[in-house]
Amino acid sequence: MTHEAVPIGLIPGPFHPRLEALSRAKGWMDWAGYMSPSVLDTAEFEYFAIRNQATLFDISPMHKYRITGPDALAMINRVVTRDVSRIGDGRVGYVMWCDEEGMLIDDGTLFRFSETDFRLCCQERMFLWLLDAAWGFDVTVTDESDAVAAVALQGPTAYSVLRDAGLDVGQMKPFDWHEVETDLWISRTGFTGDLGYEIWVPWDAALPLWDRLWAAGNHWGLRAIGFDALHIARIEAGFIAAGMDFQPVHAAMRLHRGRTPIELGFGRMVHFDKGHFNGRRALLKQRDGGQRYALVKIDLGGFKPAQDALIYHRKREVGHVTSGVWSPTTKRNIALAELKAPYGISRTDDLMAEIYVNQEGRWDRRLVSVTIQDKPFFINARARTTPPAAF
Amino acid sequence: MTDTYDAIVVGAGHNGLTAATVLARRGKRVCVVEKSGQAGGMARTVDYAEGARGPEIAHLLYNLSPKVAKDIALRVETRKLPTIAMSPDGKHVEMAGDTLRFADGTAHPEAEAYAALRKRLVKFARLLGQLSDAPPPSLAEGLAGLRDIGGLARLGLNVKRLGKQDMREFLRIILSNAYDLLLDDLADGPVAGALAADAVRGCWSGPRGPGSVFTLLYRLGQGGDVLLPMRGMGAFETAAKDAGVEMRTRSTVASVMVEQDQVRGVTLDDGTILQAAAVLSSLAAPLTMQLAGARHFDIEATRRLQRMRAKGTTAKLNLVLSATPDMPGLSDAQKAARLIVAPSATHVESAFNPVKYGEASAAPVLEAVLPSLSDPSLCKDGRQVISVIAQFVPHAPDGGWTAAQRDDLSKRIIQTLEVHMPGLQDLITHSTLLTPDDIETLTGAPGGHWHHGELSIDQLLTVRPVNGLSRYSFGVRGYYLCGASAHPGGDVTGSPGRNAALQLLAEGVLS
Ligand SMILES: Cc1cc2nc3c(=O)[nH]c(=O)nc-3n(C[C@H](O)[C@H](O)[C@H](O)COP(=O)(O)OP(=O)(O)OC[C@H]3O[C@@H](n4cnc5c(N)ncnc54)[C@H](O)[C@@H]3O)c2cc1C
Repeated sequence: MTHEAVPIGLIPGPFHPRLEALSRAKGWMDWAGYMSPSVLDTAEFEYFAIRNQATLFDISPMHKYRITGPDALAMINRVVTRDVSRIGDGRVGYVMWCDEEGMLIDDGTLFRFSETDFRLCCQERMFLWLLDAAWGFDVTVTDESDAVAAVALQGPTAYSVLRDAGLDVGQMKPFDWHEVETDLWISRTGFTGDLGYEIWVPWDAALPLWDRLWAAGNHWGLRAIGFDALHIARIEAGFIAAGMDFQPVHAAMRLHRGRTPIELGFGRMVHFDKGHFNGRRALLKQRDGGQRYALVKIDLGGFKPAQDALIYHRKREVGHVTSGVWSPTTKRNIALAELKAPYGISRTDDLMAEIYVNQEGRWDRRLVSVTIQDKPFFINARARTTPPAAF
Repeated sequence: MTDTYDAIVVGAGHNGLTAATVLARRGKRVCVVEKSGQAGGMARTVDYAEGARGPEIAHLLYNLSPKVAKDIALRVETRKLPTIAMSPDGKHVEMAGDTLRFADGTAHPEAEAYAALRKRLVKFARLLGQLSDAPPPSLAEGLAGLRDIGGLARLGLNVKRLGKQDMREFLRIILSNAYDLLLDDLADGPVAGALAADAVRGCWSGPRGPGSVFTLLYRLGQGGDVLLPMRGMGAFETAAKDAGVEMRTRSTVASVMVEQDQVRGVTLDDGTILQAAAVLSSLAAPLTMQLAGARHFDIEATRRLQRMRAKGTTAKLNLVLSATPDMPGLSDAQKAARLIVAPSATHVESAFNPVKYGEASAAPVLEAVLPSLSDPSLCKDGRQVISVIAQFVPHAPDGGWTAAQRDDLSKRIIQTLEVHMPGLQDLITHSTLLTPDDIETLTGAPGGHWHHGELSIDQLLTVRPVNGLSRYSFGVRGYYLCGASAHPGGDVTGSPGRNAALQLLAEGVLS
């Protein structure tokens, strides 16, 4: 076996030559060691392309693990909180997994090829954890992170782009997952809450895929985007992000930084009736004994983004904003916020946020009202219509 | 047809039997399932050859919990044995309680130092011994109640009651090594050697290993008297039968049934199903986990269990002799004593070294006893049996245990004994060697380990067998660990068995 030297610093991902050429902003960030665009042009243009046209975002830096073998279903069901047996072949499910104390390790998407073959995609590095989880099961875990490239194609014209690229996904429903051509898999999934797809190919087939989509996207307003635009869209869609809305418990150094799926508002994703899964006993205690925190979607007064703002109930500090932006589409000041129980659960009135604004060197403080929402901020039927309309 | 019980115990070792008896004596319907044809586990009396009987593995009692004896109405007749530290120069030393003298009755120059040291050690050991009769106090798992705080407070209190000087001394030595401790007060001869051997018997450690003071204190937890059980250790089985426990020998538990995170019973290897709301397993913790299946445990728990250290280092040699061997320097009464061959603490440490590299000690450290001298019921016609524990012997030597290697080990043990028993070789009519590997095959103990898992600082008290599972309740509701891998550990104590049964009752599993 030969060993290649590991390069120092960030390395280019599979789509990098194209992204590099498109980057005017030269705004790169570190995503799992890859040079990943935070913004290519301007975040505003890119954001509006998500909601009005179509966008390409390189998601190859996601960690991808293949789990195969006779016990694959049982093994995964012991890792994640929801019942994976209810996810059909050729379907994708959003999953969460916890440590023994019920604290969220990470969330991700689970792609089911068959009962004996799955792919798990997530933000955090999970190989060793999955190897530990595989012990006692007849499965093989393979790290496919640098073998599979993927790009998210999101926005109202995404379907049209694919069609013009010769890829027929008209019958695919949300969370469907098909091999549309040999070695080219498409899932109707995404992180924007909009119509969109994710396209999966072998690492070295990335550039031809990009070029094919780019050529087809020309008159559908296709743009390449960076993380900043996606960030706005995902908050609008109410999706949580690791490291922001929760601290992946394996990466947290301090005590009590972990949060449970129940506390993050995903109690419905915890299926206590499916047999044992990691953290089940601790989560059962919490279900019966009460949660410590509640992550909620909030609507704030004013228009100043509320990132990191403290939240008060009358004079008492009861939480803080974990992700906050001005939502250009809904024209609302929106955020995800973590409140200490019982705030956000049984006590939802009289909440205020204290937002600090820096106006060219002068700090100002705004007290604005906070209203808890139970639905995502951005909801559009086009995200679910099958077959999708042209735009 | 499936039979239904209140509780099923896996394994009829003395701990399984104790757990079963405790429950049966409280009116529960209990069945013990044992894979071999005879109950007792490591504490069985077997036919060595042609009607000459003796202890198969464990031979002496020194750590039996009085609470266990009382709770299960154990009727065991015993003989207290002195210890003889065999000296290469023939000036053997007799150790009985706190007294130390030469075997010929003359005064030993270290008598005073020995008495003081032993008193001190026993005082400290009793402090730890108290902790053996209850689940380990646990802060990490949430204090279960006032009783826990009581246990902790009692230990704290008693440490204080020691007085300032003793307390300092206790805290100074508790995590240190036996070698340094012993040689502070004793010359490095057979007396220090015997104590050093006691400190590490059954462990994967030499007396210079940190934690060897703890293991020395562990075996002194009931005062340190060494007792020979007359007619063996069958009293545990008798107590179980008297309490109405049903025994199924020659039945192996293939798996433990779990539904909805609750134990439902066991499946035997012939497919028979036995139902119960509680299952207590006396198998080592990793095997107990595997019986139910890893999927019923948290990933962290399976990882810790998988990595539990259990490398046995003790072999057993059981001999039938045509007559009592000659032992120059010992009286007839002294021949029946516990005989230790460990010429010095340094010798014990050196004997440990080869096992690190998968080899047996060239001159093993021995604990030998001729039970038939005290208990003539064991053999007839003037024959005698001799039961020898030999250390250090690897579990899996390089290339595995070949016939040649086994022969070689038997020879080394016999030669080591023969120094003190001239002509021994010619008296041997039968010889049975049990390597750690054989002991694993016989009992299931991982690595053939004395304690079912190393008794070391990282696998003690609240982290025995592993962090998160230290209070007998074993993940799944109704599933309990009741063998030597649970707190406090191995030896014939009955404590894990009794503690597990009481914990199960306290947690309301059967109500
Ligand atoms: C060489 C040696 C000498 C020792 N000498 C002494 C001594 O002199 N004094 C002392 O106090 N301690 C001694 N010990 C330690 C002591 O014997 C053990 O710590 C103690 O006996 C363990 O008891 P237990 O009941 O926990 O387990 P065990 O005695 O190991 O019992 C486990 C039982 O489970 C059964 N079993 C296993 N798998 C299954 C299955 N799947 N289904 C059904 N049954 C199963 C086994 O057959 C066995 O009977 C010695 C240990 C060794 C190795």
